[in-house]
Order: sequence, then C-alpha cells, then structure tokens
Amino acid sequence: MAYLKILLPFNFTENDNKALDFAIRTYAGHEDAHITLYNAHTPAPDIDMRSDPVMERMRSHLDYLLKQIFDQENALKKAKEKLLQSGFPSDRVKYIFEPSKKDIAGDIIDQVSKGNFDVVILNRKPTKITRFFTRSVFFKVVSTAKNVTVCVVN
Amino acid sequence: MAINDIMDLDTFKLIVRSIAESENLEAMGNRSTQLIVGSLGIKASAIFALNPETEEIETLASFGLSIDYLNKGPIKITKSKGWTSEKEPVVINDIRETDLLQYPEQTKQEGIMAMISIPIILFGRVIGLLRMYHHETWDISKEDVDTFSVLAEIIGMAMMYSRILNALQSVKDSVNEVHSIWLQPKSR
Repeated sequence: MAYLKILLPFNFTENDNKALDFAIRTYAGHEDAHITLYNAHTPAPDIDMRSDPVMERMRSHLDYLLKQIFDQENALKKAKEKLLQSGFPSDRVKYIFEPSKKDIAGDIIDQVSKGNFDVVILNRKPTKITRFFTRSVFFKVVSTAKNVTVCVVN
Repeated sequence: MAINDIMDLDTFKLIVRSIAESENLEAMGNRSTQLIVGSLGIKASAIFALNPETEEIETLASFGLSIDYLNKGPIKITKSKGWTSEKEPVVINDIRETDLLQYPEQTKQEGIMAMISIPIILFGRVIGLLRMYHHETWDISKEDVDTFSVLAEIIGMAMMYSRILNALQSVKDSVNEVHSIWLQPKSR
C-alpha cells in the first residue's frame, strides 16, 4: 500500500513544537501517514592523538561534549514519544539523528531526496534577525527541493 | 577558579582556524562554541545576533546549554542588564552576587555560576554577543577577556562575510530565473 512519507525537521524551538503539534493535528488520524523526525548535530571534534596541550584538554572534556550530543538525541526521542502518545502507531514514527554535513537547509534537502519524502513540515518566524546572516531555511528548501509538498507553520 | 589565562595561543589558533575553515555560518557557530567549551573546560558557550527591531538577542549557535534554558523566553536587551550598551564586555564572576540577570532562577537551575558576555562589534555597531558560561565561579583575567574580544571581532567579520555571500547567492538565484527569451535580441 502506498503511504505518505512526512519529514519533520526538529530543532527543539518553540516553533518546532508548533510544527509538531500541527503534524499531530493533521496526520495522527491518517493511517497512511508515516512521520520521520529529523535533527542534525555537530559531531564531536576529531581529537589529534599527538601530544598537544590543547588536544589533551579537549580529550579530558570529551565525555562532556559527547554527553551534550547524547542529551540532544534524548530530546529528539521525547518528541517522538509525544507523537506516539498522540495516536501515531510506533511503526509509523521514526527519527533520524545524524551528524550535520552541510547547513540546516542543505541537510534537510538531502534528506528529502534520499528518503523520497512526500511532505516536509517547516516552521518560520518572520522577524528573525539570524536569517539576515544565515539564509532562510524555508526559502532554500522551497526553492531547491523537488517533488515534495512543503507545509509551513508560522 | 582563580585568575590565570585559560585562553592560550594554541587554543585561540584552533578556534580561529575552525572559523576560517567552516563552509557556512551555522557550522562556524556550532563548531566554534563546541571548541570553546571543549578546550576551556567551561559549561557552555553561545553566539547571539542582535535584532534591533524586536530589541531581542537571538541564538545563532550554542553548545552546552539545555533546551529548556534556550527556550526560557525572549532575551530583551532593555531588560537584560547583562547586555552591554557601552560596547564593553560584562563579566559576572558569581551569579549569586549580581542583579544583572534577566532570568536569575533559570540561570541557577541551569547550573551556571559565572558568565562572560562579549559584544560582537562591527563598524562600531554591536551586532551580537559571544557568551561563555561556567559551572563554577570565574575570576577571569583581563588578558582572557581581551582574547575573547578579539575572537568576537573575528566572529563578527565571519557573520558579515556570510551576509554578503548570502546576498550574492540571492542575486545569482534571481539571475538564474531570468528566462533566456529576455536575453535574446528582438527579431525583426
């Protein structure tokens, strides 16, 4: 049976939670809707094994750095749990947590094409100044991704 | 933590190199905040951009701060006395002995004991903040504050470079959308 593949990029902001709520309201009752939460994290730095004071310090703090990444994945699992508690069966919800390869928009576009998603749910806050410095994720995804329906939660 | 320089030249070089090698501003911010935390052994670091319209600072990148703390609410520059209107760094050695915080309870709950806020200045205007958070009290040396200020200037230049690059990309996208029919000479 053909089903609807939905990608929900999730970065733990208030707007991401709104997008999650939108997905629950819109798709929880659809038996053909499969939803994937997506978050890309900054991988822990490569530690040079040569004797170097900075690398020594970095190595001694590596556990802390790895714990931050572990906490981020746990937060993504909580969002998945919210979907399950809202009526999505467990076989229709999954999450992808992977090291970032490009920028946010680039990673989302790659996921859309790699996973053959039918729908991607983005959120947008119109007055954000950070968009002045980094390109709008919404604009880049809409103008680049092909064969996908883009839902925008404002 | 006693006064001694924690930001030596090797650490500074490592962080600046990661800024120079980053392909985009998101990666630069995420990598440099992670390296600041990892190499200095502090709790967290964050880069903020100043929104002059809303008078809030927005998180551009962070490492080590919890999701709850990041989502605690808007950081209004008019309410946050930790904000530096005079373009000078603000050092809070011990958060128990200050009234400079907008969210003192959340800061305590986050396990932050000290905070350094360095303005990111470009062309004489504050465009953002570089902040470092420590899980213990922090008598930071003047030399370290100076080094963080230089780092903030480099981050400011990277932010503006990224802005210019984005503007160029937008122009390129617009030009690419021009249909070739508009570029052909009119036939008689």
